[in-house]
Amino acid sequence: MIVDGTGQAIMQACPAARELGIEAGMRLKTALGLAPNLHIMQADPKQEAWLLEDQARWLYHYAAHITLASPDGLWAEVSSLQKLYGGLPAIWQTVEQALTERQLTAWIAIGHTPLAARLLALTGKGECTANKNHILAALGNLPLQAAGFDKKPCTRLQRLGLNTLGDVFALPAPELARRLSPELLSTVQKIQGTRSDPKTPWQPPHIFRQRADFIQEVEHTQGLLFSLQRILSELEEDLCWRQQDTDTLLLALQHRHQEPTRFQIRTTGPEHRADGFLKLIRLKLDQQPLSSPVIALSLTVKRFTGREAPTGQDLLGETQDLNEAWHTLISRLQARLGDQALKQLSPSNDHRPECAWSAKEVRKPSKRKAAEPNLLPHRPLWLLKGPKSLDQMPTHWHSGPERISSGWWDGQRVHRDYYIAQLPGGEVAWVFRDHQDGWFIHGWFG
Amino acid sequence: MDTGYAELFCFSNFTFLTGASHPHELAERALELGYSAIAITDACSVAGIPRAWAALKDSPVKLITGSWFELDNAPTDSAVPRFILLAKDRQGYGQLCKLITTGRRRAEKGQYQLFTRDIETHELDHCFCLWLPPSQESATFSETLACGEWLLRLFEPRLRIAANRTLEVGEEQQLAQIRDLADHLRIPVVATGEVHMHSRERQPLQDVLTALRHHTTLENAGRCLFQNGERYLRPLPVLQKLFPENWLRETIQIANACEFEPGSLRYEYPPDLVPTDETPAGLLKRLTHEGERRRYPNGTPLKVQALIRKELGLISEMQYEHYFLTIHDIVAFARSQGILCQGRGSAANSAVCYCLGITEVNPAKVELLFERFISKDRDEPPDIDVDFEHQRREEVIQYIYQRYGRERAALAATVIRYRPRSAIRDVGKALGFDAALVEKLLDGIDWRDQSTNWRQQILDKGLTRNPQVANQFFTLVNTLLGFPRHLSQHVGGFVISAGPLSELVPVENAAMQDRTVIQWDKDDLESLGLMKVDVLALGMLTAIRKALELISTVKGTPFTIQDIPQEDPDTYAMLQKGDSIGVFQVESRAQINMLPRLKPETYYDLVIEVAIVRPGPIQGDMVHPYLRRKHGLEPVEFPSDAIRQVLERTLGVPIFQEQVIKLAMVAAGFSAGEADKLRLAMAAWKSHGDLTPFRDKLINGMLERGHDPEFADRLYQQICGFGGYGFPESHAASFALLVYVSAWIKRHHPAAFYCALLNSQPMGFYSPSQLVQDARRHDVTVLPPDVNFSHWEHSLEGPNQHLRLGLRIVQGLSRQGGQCVHENRPTQGYRSASELRTSAGLNQRDMELLAGANAMAGFTSDRHQAYWQLLDYEEPSALFAQEAEADYQPQPCGQLPQPSEGQNVLADYRSQGLTLQRHPLALLREQGHLQHCLTAEQLKTTRPGIPVQVAGLVTGRQRPGSAAGVTFVTLEDETGNVNVVVWLATARQQRKPLLTARLLHVKGVIEKEGEIVHVMAGKLSDLSHLINSLPVNSRDFH
Repeated sequence: MIVDGTGQAIMQACPAARELGIEAGMRLKTALGLAPNLHIMQADPKQEAWLLEDQARWLYHYAAHITLASPDGLWAEVSSLQKLYGGLPAIWQTVEQALTERQLTAWIAIGHTPLAARLLALTGKGECTANKNHILAALGNLPLQAAGFDKKPCTRLQRLGLNTLGDVFALPAPELARRLSPELLSTVQKIQGTRSDPKTPWQPPHIFRQRADFIQEVEHTQGLLFSLQRILSELEEDLCWRQQDTDTLLLALQHRHQEPTRFQIRTTGPEHRADGFLKLIRLKLDQQPLSSPVIALSLTVKRFTGREAPTGQDLLGETQDLNEAWHTLISRLQARLGDQALKQLSPSNDHRPECAWSAKEVRKPSKRKAAEPNLLPHRPLWLLKGPKSLDQMPTHWHSGPERISSGWWDGQRVHRDYYIAQLPGGEVAWVFRDHQDGWFIHGWFG
Repeated sequence: MDTGYAELFCFSNFTFLTGASHPHELAERALELGYSAIAITDACSVAGIPRAWAALKDSPVKLITGSWFELDNAPTDSAVPRFILLAKDRQGYGQLCKLITTGRRRAEKGQYQLFTRDIETHELDHCFCLWLPPSQESATFSETLACGEWLLRLFEPRLRIAANRTLEVGEEQQLAQIRDLADHLRIPVVATGEVHMHSRERQPLQDVLTALRHHTTLENAGRCLFQNGERYLRPLPVLQKLFPENWLRETIQIANACEFEPGSLRYEYPPDLVPTDETPAGLLKRLTHEGERRRYPNGTPLKVQALIRKELGLISEMQYEHYFLTIHDIVAFARSQGILCQGRGSAANSAVCYCLGITEVNPAKVELLFERFISKDRDEPPDIDVDFEHQRREEVIQYIYQRYGRERAALAATVIRYRPRSAIRDVGKALGFDAALVEKLLDGIDWRDQSTNWRQQILDKGLTRNPQVANQFFTLVNTLLGFPRHLSQHVGGFVISAGPLSELVPVENAAMQDRTVIQWDKDDLESLGLMKVDVLALGMLTAIRKALELISTVKGTPFTIQDIPQEDPDTYAMLQKGDSIGVFQVESRAQINMLPRLKPETYYDLVIEVAIVRPGPIQGDMVHPYLRRKHGLEPVEFPSDAIRQVLERTLGVPIFQEQVIKLAMVAAGFSAGEADKLRLAMAAWKSHGDLTPFRDKLINGMLERGHDPEFADRLYQQICGFGGYGFPESHAASFALLVYVSAWIKRHHPAAFYCALLNSQPMGFYSPSQLVQDARRHDVTVLPPDVNFSHWEHSLEGPNQHLRLGLRIVQGLSRQGGQCVHENRPTQGYRSASELRTSAGLNQRDMELLAGANAMAGFTSDRHQAYWQLLDYEEPSALFAQEAEADYQPQPCGQLPQPSEGQNVLADYRSQGLTLQRHPLALLREQGHLQHCLTAEQLKTTRPGIPVQVAGLVTGRQRPGSAAGVTFVTLEDETGNVNVVVWLATARQQRKPLLTARLLHVKGVIEKEGEIVHVMAGKLSDLSHLINSLPVNSRDFH
């Protein structure tokens, strides 16, 4: 079951939930009253838009003119395709089959106008016919609420005693515009087809894809570089023209008998320069020698990011240089050692010494200010991996006790008194006593 | 050497989301630890003081009143001052309250704001100041020093530096700085604990509160949380180890110098009411005798005369004259404005109050002994609540403000506390549980199911996978329950003082504009012995006043409550049938069921009727014994003469709160003081109190006195039931009077009764639709709203007293628009929609609403056409306005369908929430949808025990606390209401129809008890979809 962003109202319910009486538009509280064991998910409009676009992409194989009917529909212009497919039923069948293959549930409808098709599809009243009168009759039977009018005109129409879209069709057009609203008339006419309703066609999103076929099989990495260089400079040109960057390249090497070898090359930051890409690809190829001869290669880029204005640049451009050098270093290290091998240390906001620092994936240096050093507590530079029991009592106590008692909520409760103390060997240690009177060393001071 | 210790810095949980212990917990712990004194120093507040004081009364630990402050700005080149002020004496306390008031009144509700100039300008020379120097990270030494010098200028020689030892990082440096400051400024250092909780075990809860305060989760709270749990009341040996001896000794010295004792606060009555040449006692006596002549024009009965003498004597002995005079003044104002009012509560139903006009309960008719209400033994103020008409109470409140000024009158606070839902939500939030999952948990919990295994629930619902956290969750929620969340305004409890109120108790802003509340609630006031006047709102008084006005119009002479004949048999006959919809207090379903069983015949039966359908008597199983005795099925016996005195009026069965308390004294040997504690515990039982300490004493006491164990246990059960729902006889007596008055009006002037009730909405149990249906069943003709006949209010029309619905019934219609329709109506009535629009000056929205209500029946053929006409409207330009008016001839639209009966019914419901046409169920029955279903009327003549089918609109779903797991559903059809009982198992299996159906079909078994008919539900089905098929006319089926 899916709820809206605020988590208050239900937007969609699965068949099992509907069986229990849960409906779209219901309040979450009511729904939980009906079925306390609901599985709840939050709606994600972005994801929805993305999924819709996904469907458009495959539908594009079958029809040239596609329009997105956000958030949940697609229009395809089919009248011009009748000849190609051999009639409407064939088109209908093709689409249905494509849906089945993809295991998708959808309601198909044909209409003489985009709105007609959409309304019929939304109400599940679609039929495989292009007969205008038939379609208009079907539309006429739809209840007012299903016509997709705005709430206010819809209420007004109901107050006039009208129940179906057909009742609205029957009213004289000028009266409708005058007494209700010109917009309402326009919608009605767009449904009926007496007013044009142009739709912007959907364009498949841009991707960069270049392929190089080799006349002779290439056996060594070296042999690929020339073609790669060409393709990468084309990519650079393309990126420059679009004023975009990318951080992911997909490289596929085709073999005669085997499945293609695929690489994903990731840069640490947005990148557009061919030699930057090439260095990374070379590192990758050096790590992994060719498993068999290559007959073709293709390079695909699907992710594009807008170029930001250079940030934090001083007059001499130094900051950026540093940043860039830092980027390059990280990219190279990651390419050479693997993404996992590289970590970045940072302070964490926690009283427990074990939890007061973290080693996380390398991230771009952010603009956020690090914690001010003087707000951080006095801690040893060398914190032991785990506390080590203290064998000999210190000879000298420098400071303490500092009591740390925290972390009950995640099962790693700490209750300790810390001291800075000098051990008999002369070392300055950070030692603590736990709540069972055991003594431990937790770190060393320089 | 043992110097002792006084803790001078404690946050209680009245520093919201900071302190993690109740004031009384802190107080009790200080006592256990052997502290010499403890100061409660909440942030700009003394809200916790009365509770701590109550806990420490008669104990060796001294309570010091103080408050913590952080200013909003800093002196020049100085750190922001943070300090504690402690009241040295009564004067210091007044100064403290005044400062708090300044800070609170300036800020939004719940906040405070104080600047350096406030400290410089307020007199604070009777307060100690404990300065909390900033840490070295947050200020430089010179800034810190400047801050100290600023305070020194203001407070010398009463300034001290407070030193905390919380064993946190950087503490050594801070202590060194404090020593430096003490040297520089030459002021002593005093040890403090910066206490946030009474015991270290509260650390988890304190962390939770801190996380909530920072709007984050524990996991992300990081260093917002304290580093450890040292901010608790530590044992003396620990403190002696941590602090130098002279710092500890300083705490004792300050404590010794703080002499203010909250118990010394005495209410000073406003002297305004007594003329200079008269004594309060003289004035009260005079007013009483004046009232006497009014009440008893033929001479006061001897019995009453004696009563008055006795009461006046008692009042003057206790010096309560001002209290009675104050109430009399307010009531006299209401009378002068024609506002109906009625007093209730202890002391209200006395002969003096009857003469003063505070109550209408006539002491000559009812034997209520004043002595019971004012107790000489307990030194507590009398308590009178006065109910006023709900629509006009604001006038009374404004009068009080105007009479005493905002400086001297304010509302008491109500402390809003954590309840299970809010506690679970907040703890869940802090632990980072998914909010949706927490809601799921909340909805899944049966609150009355004591055996709910929380831990398992929490794990089952996937809130956490960590069983330890699940345990913690339970403990945290339980501890958080009853914690104060914020101060809200009491429904009507006013505190009025002689001097500025802000010197008695701090005043802060309430959420409502222009309302101020004091920092104490009514329990606090009571425990400190301060007096408050309750000015409450009661809808029924509005309705009664309006009904009396209508009756006066009909009769042509003024008709008042006093003119209503007493003990009218017809009225009681009506009540005995359970015909009580709309009647005050006895209109609920449970009461309607009780009336035919109790069969009230006299006023005193009504007093019992009001009190008996309450959790107390029901849980204590007092109802059935009483009924059996009343109808002579069981002998009335008294274990002893003492008990006979207490229980005689209620046939040996305790029903009222006073009786239970009195019984504890008479039967179990409680002293007056103990009984008083029991009463307080009963009142607080629901929120946080605990009655178990009284259980053994009560039961043993009764057994010792030879009562049988069953009786003892039943009395204890009843005390538990009374918790929070206690209903005292003194209130029931006043209510019963209104029951009688409203029932009499219903019986003898039904049209006026329903008209007045409808004009007083919202109030009572029933919707206008239900009231209108009941009116029609009582042969009142109800006419629809019509622009040519209706007023804004509902009214009575013609010699036959037809009830004409007013335009206010049209939902959404503006009051101004509705009134204009009536006021500007031409003598011959409106003749067209355009005339209506222009003459009444209505806007399009109001016009559409009136058309939708079919209120233009005089000049339109039906609501569809009316609406069609309205839609064609544009603001005419000024020049052509007249012309356009004349030209306009509405053309009916041929394409519009005529409304069917069903459409009209639905449209009526949409526009007015009721219909005067046939009931939807009648239409559905006619359409053949409800075959085999019996009507409410048919059920009355159906044999009990047989299976039946019923259907109706769901007008009520109730799960009363006194009936475990049972849901009562009320179904409405064209003949009346059907009561359906759904047992827990049935409800669980059929949640969907039970919770969502608007039109419900029930298969079940009919049961009868006397005239009460129930259907025990088996199968439930949702027929709501049929409602939408209503517009389809039966003639449409071909």
